[in-house]
Amino acid sequence: MGFAMRRPGLTPDAIAGGGRFMRALGPGSVSSFLKIILDVVYGALWIGVVAVTLLVLAALLFSFNPSLLDDVSLSSGDLAARWPAVTGGLLAASLYMAGVLIIVGCLRRIFTTLTAGDPFHPDNVGRLRLIGAILAALELGRYAVWAIGTWLLVGVGKSQPNLSLTAWFSVLVVFVLAEVFREGARLRREAELTI
Amino acid sequence: MPIRVQLDRVLFERRMSLTELADRVGVTIANLSILKTGKARAVRFSTLAALCRELDCQPGDLLTYEAGPADEPDDET
Repeated sequence: MGFAMRRPGLTPDAIAGGGRFMRALGPGSVSSFLKIILDVVYGALWIGVVAVTLLVLAALLFSFNPSLLDDVSLSSGDLAARWPAVTGGLLAASLYMAGVLIIVGCLRRIFTTLTAGDPFHPDNVGRLRLIGAILAALELGRYAVWAIGTWLLVGVGKSQPNLSLTAWFSVLVVFVLAEVFREGARLRREAELTI
Repeated sequence: MPIRVQLDRVLFERRMSLTELADRVGVTIANLSILKTGKARAVRFSTLAALCRELDCQPGDLLTYEAGPADEPDDET
């Protein structure tokens, strides 16, 4: 009958061992695919950080010398008065992007070890701890930006800063994962020295 | 590590080289060197049995205990 038809390109062994197509670690695995995505994001973030930093420098220049904007038709006294706030906002954005850049950089290096099939590399512990610390710093920075914003910009700070439980949960999870990796690295070291 | 490995002495007594022992036991020379220099943290019973078989000795001939400074901490990270 028709059920006896053979599926081209799929051997019975390949069908039975379907899990091999979705390997999580090693070359050609999901990790290597994610590593490529992280590489692209890392490059884009670098461009973003450089662009925002240039904007900060330009904003600083204009805030110290507002007369430079006299020839610009869009400029007004109100806009010139807000340059410090704009500069601060851009600076905060620049710092935020730098934090994300470091996180993505750490993730790239972690995924390099995953692609190499060595997840419990001792350096991954420090990388995960750094990611957790930066995540916490970014969340604290968000509160600081809100507080400074309400202080400087009257009328803007009507909204309350929402305490993001997800963010703090993520921070704790990353720190716990760092400890898991530390234990894994210890076991790996012991396994290496077991004859 | 207060456990001392006397592989050097036993090898000398048997007039056997580390390379020959590695071939007989099926352990790499690098791993046997780790064992010989006392850097190993653990020895599998299977490895110990193979060493005793090829060296014609008892585990006690290979391993001795010497009281000394405390063991290195496991956690170095």
